[in-house]
Amino acid sequence: MIPFLAVVKKELWSVIRDRTILIAVLIQLFIASFSSGLLLGVLSLYDPDTIMQSGSVNIRIGLVGPAGNPLEAAMMESGMHVTPYTTLAEAESAFYQNQVNAIVLIPSGVQKTEEIKLYLPDSDAVSSVIRMVIQGPLKQYENYLRGQNGIEVRYTDLKGKPSTSFEFVYSVLLPMLMFFPAFVAGSMSIDSFTEEVESNTLPTLLSAPLTVNGMISAKIVAAVIISTVQCLAWLALMQVNGIVIQNLPWVLLLALIVAGIASTCAMIGAVFLKDRERSQFIYSLVLLAATGIGTLLGISPITTISRLGIGDVYTNGWNVAMFAALLAALYLVLLRASRRVLA
Amino acid sequence: MHQILVIAWREMTRLQKRFGGGASPIAVILLLAALGLSVFAMRNTVSLGAGLYRAAVSGDVPPFQDSRFSMVTVDPAEGKALLEQHAVDVWIDGAQVQSRDDDRSLYAVKALKQDLEAQELERVGASYPAAAAFPLRVGINYLGPAPAAGQTVQGTVPLTKPEEVIIPSLTPPPAPFTQVLVGMLYIIPITFISIFFTSSFMDEKVNRRLSILLSAPITPFQIILGKMLPYATFALGTTALIAVLTHTNVLLALAIFAPTILFIFAIYLMVPLLYRTFKDTTFIAMLVTTLTTAYLVFPAMFTNTNDLAYISPLTLAVKMYRNEPFGWREYLFPSLPMAAIFGLAMYAGTRMLNEEYLMGYKPITRKITDAIYLMMAHIPSYLSVPLWSLLVIPGVYMAQVVFLAFATNLPLRIMLYAVLGAAALMEEVVKSIGIVVLAEHGVVKSARELLALAFLSALGFLIGEKLLLLVSLSVVQQAPVSGALFGAGVFLLIPLFAHFAFTTTVTFLRTKVKLPYTLALAVGTLAHFIYNWAVMRGGL
Repeated sequence: MIPFLAVVKKELWSVIRDRTILIAVLIQLFIASFSSGLLLGVLSLYDPDTIMQSGSVNIRIGLVGPAGNPLEAAMMESGMHVTPYTTLAEAESAFYQNQVNAIVLIPSGVQKTEEIKLYLPDSDAVSSVIRMVIQGPLKQYENYLRGQNGIEVRYTDLKGKPSTSFEFVYSVLLPMLMFFPAFVAGSMSIDSFTEEVESNTLPTLLSAPLTVNGMISAKIVAAVIISTVQCLAWLALMQVNGIVIQNLPWVLLLALIVAGIASTCAMIGAVFLKDRERSQFIYSLVLLAATGIGTLLGISPITTISRLGIGDVYTNGWNVAMFAALLAALYLVLLRASRRVLA
Repeated sequence: MHQILVIAWREMTRLQKRFGGGASPIAVILLLAALGLSVFAMRNTVSLGAGLYRAAVSGDVPPFQDSRFSMVTVDPAEGKALLEQHAVDVWIDGAQVQSRDDDRSLYAVKALKQDLEAQELERVGASYPAAAAFPLRVGINYLGPAPAAGQTVQGTVPLTKPEEVIIPSLTPPPAPFTQVLVGMLYIIPITFISIFFTSSFMDEKVNRRLSILLSAPITPFQIILGKMLPYATFALGTTALIAVLTHTNVLLALAIFAPTILFIFAIYLMVPLLYRTFKDTTFIAMLVTTLTTAYLVFPAMFTNTNDLAYISPLTLAVKMYRNEPFGWREYLFPSLPMAAIFGLAMYAGTRMLNEEYLMGYKPITRKITDAIYLMMAHIPSYLSVPLWSLLVIPGVYMAQVVFLAFATNLPLRIMLYAVLGAAALMEEVVKSIGIVVLAEHGVVKSARELLALAFLSALGFLIGEKLLLLVSLSVVQQAPVSGALFGAGVFLLIPLFAHFAFTTTVTFLRTKVKLPYTLALAVGTLAHFIYNWAVMRGGL
């Protein structure tokens, strides 16, 4: 047991000494804030609700057409300012005096298909925002016209709350922060094993009272410890930011098990291939393929951890146990494969 | 040339040996097949919020596929009960959608809205004649610049593009996401290939074959170029292949991505030269991948909404896929900095490729300063210092873009200060590090030399900065950010003096007062930050 702990300690110490682990931590912080920054940035550009909510955008539409048109009401309801004009020429001169940003022209008289015209400024930035925001009212107007044609459209009155940031936090941020350390743990296991092989220090290490399996397991344990520390830090950071995570112990345990699975998988590859180049390559491919296949089969740990995090009624310790069983099976495979090290 | 080819050939055989023989080629093919299959199957199902919501369904509800929802079919009484027990988030009862008042349920309703709308559209489209089902046409026109006075005859307002007619419910507003994703498709193989390029150097280093190679009558430049050749060819080949598969102009795609390939290779060349242990390589490679991806993807998201998007070559790719034209300026704006970084990295590589440097274990900061010293040591300091300040400008520029992407997460007020502070810090590091390193190696001693070099460094930096500003102003008109970052001062003398003063402060505090570099840097950065802030406030 003592040599085992010594190897664990040596691994941890070397990681602390190199200090490049800080890079991995920084990357996670970067990705997390980058993706949420990106999401917010994109939302403020592409999501009409967010654009209008922020209140910073003031869209003024010049409307030419018969009074009391339902499109006028729909545009005002979604927060645009509508000014009526009697002719297109009047509206155009208002456009060039910067009194309106865009012009909507509705022809008078009722036809079966109605053709309205939208005049936008030539600047890409402004016109794409206007097209984004006016899309909702246009669809409402389309539904109104369908109603005039005797077509009933269901589910038009659904409201709800903008769900993007909720979906982002639980289906991207939480899995990312919990599983990226696992991914790093796998890579670290490969590095610390293949480095011993390639620089010929393995025989020396094994001359200590330590079995091959003991040595390999110690390296995996060290990697998992480092990943657990990171997960704890991220969970604390999310709590500080007011993100409520249900089933906290299960979430952490699942993260730990996934780190174990990643490191064990990585180590199986390293034991077979014995060099860093191929092992890392195969490991990344396996990880990508496993994520894909897991999602297809509906047993993805990503979905499981999101569901645990939001407190889904049907997700509990049994789902975590399934991954624990997988870890146990992989570990047995590793124990059998490790004989190749001495060969 | 012959030597380069020989090394390239040697590199090919090395790879062949690594990946030939045994079960590994089959394993790789199997894995790639599994990967391709899962990507193919997932392309429609993966979305934000996979598996987050549960819905109960009873009665006549259109069937829909959404990876965010898990559905159960129940009878009405049970549906109501499940909703009340918080076991499901929404209950769709025929044409009615029932929800609770809590946030999760309301989020689910919003998410459901898109799906049900799409389903209704399909139903309406299938069961009614097209004219009745889609009764609205919107003709979109773009108004040109204001016509001169007296010319406005009725109805002859200039339109810049032909009219585009859309049906609102069938035409989503334009967003560049899909094309950005296609652009990403080019980057991923390049990154993978460059990892092998890195491994090749590591291999030589671990096996001590590099010493033999270096003692042969070939220059480090030939070694690097020879090793890079097969991978670069392969990367270009993959780019061409993707272009063919996605039905676009192959030559244009190659032209767009060639500088990007050079840039990524340049960065990955630094990894094996700087690493000390295998774990270092992993972490540095991760950092590099993250930062380059951020640098490439973040600006491209804003294609057509902000001219700043042209910083990234992916923006050009997005334009290419949309069949929109772009000119030489737009092409050179992202490509030149990348090519410049490649040039600088190649030069640094040839200097760092010596046994003594590669084999030592030192703190990573020490490694980096040693590298800078190696780059400058063979040139007289009055040339090397300003050249260094001038040539790293594209790097500073890229670092600032990445930092800007990072800072968008902060509240607006703090963001401005953070960006200004980071810009000041990066500039001070770049201007002073060369002089400090030279002083530490005893190349520069007297105060007079320090003053002269600080002036030259500031001059070099200013020239580079203004050149870059000139290039970017010709493309980016609506980017006050770029102006703020690079201090668009009108009078060149004031910024020159300011740069000179800050650099002198940092170098003197370090070499004469013997303060630690970080502390000296903090003082210089603070002064620079206050200056930047004053310039911003003054609206210079």
